[in-house]
Amino acid sequence: MGSQKQKNKGVSRRDFMKATGGMAAAAGMAGGGLLLGSKKAFAAEMPEKWDETFDVIVVGSGFAGLAAAYEAKKAGASVVVLEKMRTPGGNSIINGGVVAAAGSPLQAKAGIQDSPEILLQDMLAAGLHLNHLPLARIVAQESNNMVQWTINELGVKYKDGVTQEGGHAVPRMYSTYNQSGSAIVEQQLEKLAALGVVPRTGILLKRILRDNDGRIKGVEVREGYLFPKEGSGRQQFIKARKAVVLATGGFGNDVAFRSVQDPRLTQELESTNQPGATAEALREAFRIGCTPVQLSWIQLGPWGSPDERGMGLNPFFAQLCCAMYGLWVDTLTGKRFVNELADRKIRADAIIRAGNKCIAFTDAKGYALGQKALGEIMNRLIDRGVVKRHESLEAMAAAYDMPLAPLQETIQRFNTSVAAGKDEEWGRYLQKDQFPLETAPYYASRLMPKVHHTMGGVRINTDAQALDVETDAPIPGLYCAGEVTGAVHGAVRLGSCAVVDCLTFGRIAGRQAAAEKPWG
Amino acid sequence: MPQLCSLVRRRKFDALRRRTMALTLFLVVLLVCAMVADSQSRDEQARPGDCVACHGRADVLPKNHVPTASMDAADCRACHAKGSPLTLVAKIPLGHLHQLHGITCNQCHPQGTLAGPLTTEQCLACHGSLEEVIARTATTRPHNPHGSPHGKTYLACDLCHHQHTWSENFCLLCHDFEYRVP
Ligand SMILES: Cc1cc2nc3c(=O)[nH]c(=O)nc-3n(C[C@H](O)[C@H](O)[C@H](O)COP(=O)(O)OP(=O)(O)OC[C@H]3O[C@@H](n4cnc5c(N)ncnc54)[C@H](O)[C@@H]3O)c2cc1C
Repeated sequence: MGSQKQKNKGVSRRDFMKATGGMAAAAGMAGGGLLLGSKKAFAAEMPEKWDETFDVIVVGSGFAGLAAAYEAKKAGASVVVLEKMRTPGGNSIINGGVVAAAGSPLQAKAGIQDSPEILLQDMLAAGLHLNHLPLARIVAQESNNMVQWTINELGVKYKDGVTQEGGHAVPRMYSTYNQSGSAIVEQQLEKLAALGVVPRTGILLKRILRDNDGRIKGVEVREGYLFPKEGSGRQQFIKARKAVVLATGGFGNDVAFRSVQDPRLTQELESTNQPGATAEALREAFRIGCTPVQLSWIQLGPWGSPDERGMGLNPFFAQLCCAMYGLWVDTLTGKRFVNELADRKIRADAIIRAGNKCIAFTDAKGYALGQKALGEIMNRLIDRGVVKRHESLEAMAAAYDMPLAPLQETIQRFNTSVAAGKDEEWGRYLQKDQFPLETAPYYASRLMPKVHHTMGGVRINTDAQALDVETDAPIPGLYCAGEVTGAVHGAVRLGSCAVVDCLTFGRIAGRQAAAEKPWG
Repeated sequence: MPQLCSLVRRRKFDALRRRTMALTLFLVVLLVCAMVADSQSRDEQARPGDCVACHGRADVLPKNHVPTASMDAADCRACHAKGSPLTLVAKIPLGHLHQLHGITCNQCHPQGTLAGPLTTEQCLACHGSLEEVIARTATTRPHNPHGSPHGKTYLACDLCHHQHTWSENFCLLCHDFEYRVP
């Protein structure tokens, strides 16, 4: 054991010296960014010849990257969008299509009082006030504007009603017509194509090229990259006359990197993310001198199911039918164990603490509501055995090996709360049309938290400029937007706030990038 | 001692060199074979029974297979009926099936153009609109493979259907959807 340990230590140190080069390592230990001769530690060799040149290079083709490309192009810049996967859209195109809008027309129609300030307070409360306030404030202020922008400028279609995500004081979510982020991304792609910009797929960002003068000059990529094949593709250098926008998303599916930040998030845990949600671009950003912020705040989605892969469809059922109109119970006790509308961290932690044997359920009325709002999705959930139908409470209890009497008591108690208009037990927000749970059949699904969102990332300012780890000043020619950035959401991102975050800062980044003075 | 050491090292080195040379030779042979095969592949005149024309070798079909030189897709189907255990769907690269149906190389890669991958629009020119393609597989379980909620870009034909190599099930990247992809 002892010798093995020593051996490991020896190897890792040698590897470290090899990887960094003895001199660089020594400089790194003395303090990042020290001069090596006259060369900065972050500085790259500039290629003798660039293969291509654009004003603005956008890396990543999700909400943030496409929004940046759109604004930069509209401002007259030449733009290229690079994407390593074979399809554009990243996590954005597989997202649930739920978007926060505080103080929206749909809320007004439903008689719901709301304002950007209330949303901001919700974001800060869930974020444990770790949020960088100026960034969070922009998201809260822009939420309704941004949704209206997607409608008026992009032509995105939404359903005609608002829903409520955990941690939000009131229902304030728009949902895209198809309950998917693809409804937004497809419009972004279409608008961009009309301007002559089509994302190039199969292109991996390898290096961000920062010159000795501190400015970003371009990128090194692998063209023809075949995810996840290391070393595939051909080396190319692309020059960015004005700026690079890094919009490479989160790292929820990067087991190695995420478990460095939070050692509990091992391989055992599934993720809702696309397989390309990995950290290599983020690592590169740090290598060239970006400031890391709050990397270990990684969110688990509490509404995942062990009966399907990835995000799947269960979150819709568990949230809308059960967290809003049903209950979440621990099958070991037959009791509620959390406020079903608490933020995701509180709920995910509670499920794990309870021993990972919790279910979400609703009655026939809650199910009917789901069918009305979600249509085909509910049929699929039943079809695939993710949601199961139980003819009676007794049958449901038996199916999950759950004690019946406490379950009946739990429901009784909740129904009394509904009648009283106040959830005495857990303080959950009750819907205007909340009904008691009493109509068979019952519908239930198993819950399993999955790695969902990485709150930390690159530190930016309100102009989406990446800030230097050594000086805190903006890194000339580098903008970051979307999930690759950190501190907007602090400890916990509220559901539906990511879309607003990505679109808002993506647009800012694109406009700012186009306005940069070209370096050559 | 030093001499011994260097002797051992030399022996090791010789062995290494021999192995390297053998490996190099092997790789060269492989490369030449591949080049020969490649230069003969995509022969637009090739007939179904004329495996050599593309593969450079005659033993592509199983031993005792009936001669196929004068056959077309319909003849093949006499034995390899769709849905039967002998079906050819997902068993041979799709380019063969196109060829057997009389869709020759130049119909996809017009003469004089570089033979690159086709766009989805080019595929749809023969296979009907996207809506029609989606409708054709509407009842496929567990999910319509052409009915992806992730938008049009996830419906690019060549994410799954390849012509000159094996097709793949792109959905498997994230889902447990088992399909036989032609
Ligand atoms: C299943 C799911 C459902 C969600 N639902 C909601 C919701 O309903 N509402 C909400 O507000 N939020 C939701 N979220 C969160 C939200 O969708 C994401 O935070 C958001 O999509 C991130 O957008 P982005 O543009 O920053 O990154 P992404 O959309 O992930 O795009 C980043 C892109 O960069 C590419 N990339 C990464 N590294 C490289 C590299 N080295 N070289 C080239 N390209 C690279 C990636 O492949 C990816 O395509 C959901 C997330 C998931 C996973």
